[in-house]
Amino acid sequence: MSTPSSRSGSLSRKVAGVIVPGLLLLSALPASADKIQRHFKVDARPVVTVHNPNGTITVRAWTKSEVMLVATRATDQVVVDAEQNGNRVDILTRQVAESASPESTRADYEISVPEDAELQIHDDSGGVNVSNVLGDMNVETIAADVDMADVAGYLTVKTVGGSFQCARCAGRLEVSSITGNFRLIDLRSTYVRAQTSDGNILFTGQFLPNSTYRLKNYNGVIEVRFSPEDSFDLNATSLKGKVHNEAKLVPPSHHRFLPRFGNGLFGSYNSGRAMVELSSFDGTINILKRN
Amino acid sequence: MRVANCSAFLEQLEQWMEGERSPSAEAHIRSCQTCRNLIADLDSIRDTASSLAATDPEPSERVWTALRAQLQDEGLIHALRPGVWDTPKRWLQGTFWVLPRPVLAGAYLVALIAVGFALSGSSGLLNDSNLWMSRTQRSTQPLSASLETEEDAISSMADTNPVVTASLRKSLAIIDNDIALCEKSVREEPQNEFARDYLYEAYQQKADLIAQVTEGDEGQ
Repeated sequence: MSTPSSRSGSLSRKVAGVIVPGLLLLSALPASADKIQRHFKVDARPVVTVHNPNGTITVRAWTKSEVMLVATRATDQVVVDAEQNGNRVDILTRQVAESASPESTRADYEISVPEDAELQIHDDSGGVNVSNVLGDMNVETIAADVDMADVAGYLTVKTVGGSFQCARCAGRLEVSSITGNFRLIDLRSTYVRAQTSDGNILFTGQFLPNSTYRLKNYNGVIEVRFSPEDSFDLNATSLKGKVHNEAKLVPPSHHRFLPRFGNGLFGSYNSGRAMVELSSFDGTINILKRN
Repeated sequence: MRVANCSAFLEQLEQWMEGERSPSAEAHIRSCQTCRNLIADLDSIRDTASSLAATDPEPSERVWTALRAQLQDEGLIHALRPGVWDTPKRWLQGTFWVLPRPVLAGAYLVALIAVGFALSGSSGLLNDSNLWMSRTQRSTQPLSASLETEEDAISSMADTNPVVTASLRKSLAIIDNDIALCEKSVREEPQNEFARDYLYEAYQQKADLIAQVTEGDEGQ
């Protein structure tokens, strides 16, 4: 049986057991972290621009004719400017402190847009995720990775060191990087141009008829995985590296200049309905059967 | 106000090269040695490319597409953004780092046009390796020198975000290495179109990267 004093001591310990970890948790968070939510009514095909030097940007499509921004600032050393100009919404992270650590200037954005929105995104470091948006988009990053899924339109992506992944992307895709790796999965695009200097490029999925695929790097591995049902003309050349091929190619019937330098192969697979150009300076090219 | 006139003239560069010459552009050319030199260089490159590739006078489609896309990106074709050329600049004097990115990339583009013209064309029409080598060197050396100067922008870059800075420096080192290896390949096989294409693109990437660094620094 406990005395009042012992019950009081037990209660104090219980309260302390809840409060102390809570205080520790709070102290682990930046002092001024906060969340901002903004809504903008828009018409069809709005343009949304996002400039965020440091942080993640997640954009998803929804059915409302509205752009919703949920911004999380690490501290009050950055300001989130969001304004509407007609059918255009501009979102900008602005640093207000002259010298501040990268952690304190971080801002993370979650943005919901109509599916026909056009996007222009700039993110130096952090990450960009876009899904289900069907308008044109332009994404530029330095170190931030870019991940897209179920998007369409004219897609241009440019990174310096960030990787790029695109799953089930449609429309036209142009992506370039210096050290970023690319993963192109089950694309529905009719034109694909991917170029990275020192990154790997993986393409897996169907080569669509009447479509063009140009994959190029300087170093690294270019790997395409085809299925027996695919139909494409192939032109693969690596100047200094090797070309491994599992496709039974029919040599072109018409006269064609064969490369005088490096390791290359030309030919048609099935009736050659898509055009596939793979090019590397010093990297390896793998043309493999898809399981 | 020679600088302002140079800016206005640059806006009309494409028309000028296509033979459409406004009175104001002609007046500027008469008074500006710098622009006269530029036009002379471009004319010379075009004439040389035409004579060397008589059966295939056009640069490859890839070169045209890349150049046109970049011209459009930088607003040198079609509508120019107001104010782009307003900043005073020391055009073509190796001090591109003080310029806003459209101007910077536009200036590099002039050099890249020269490289593109010189590096394109059918190698089958040029069997003289020495000629290929000298053309390549003549085309890339001025650009290389300019870009090396601009690399100072990266070494003095404000280190506000170490992740970004590290990525830019690593990328620049990789491009420099790529350029060195491409140049080695071109030296060994001057008629190798493949190596020359890669060399050209490596230079293009380097110019673009440095422009990006400059833009980032200005934004900070």
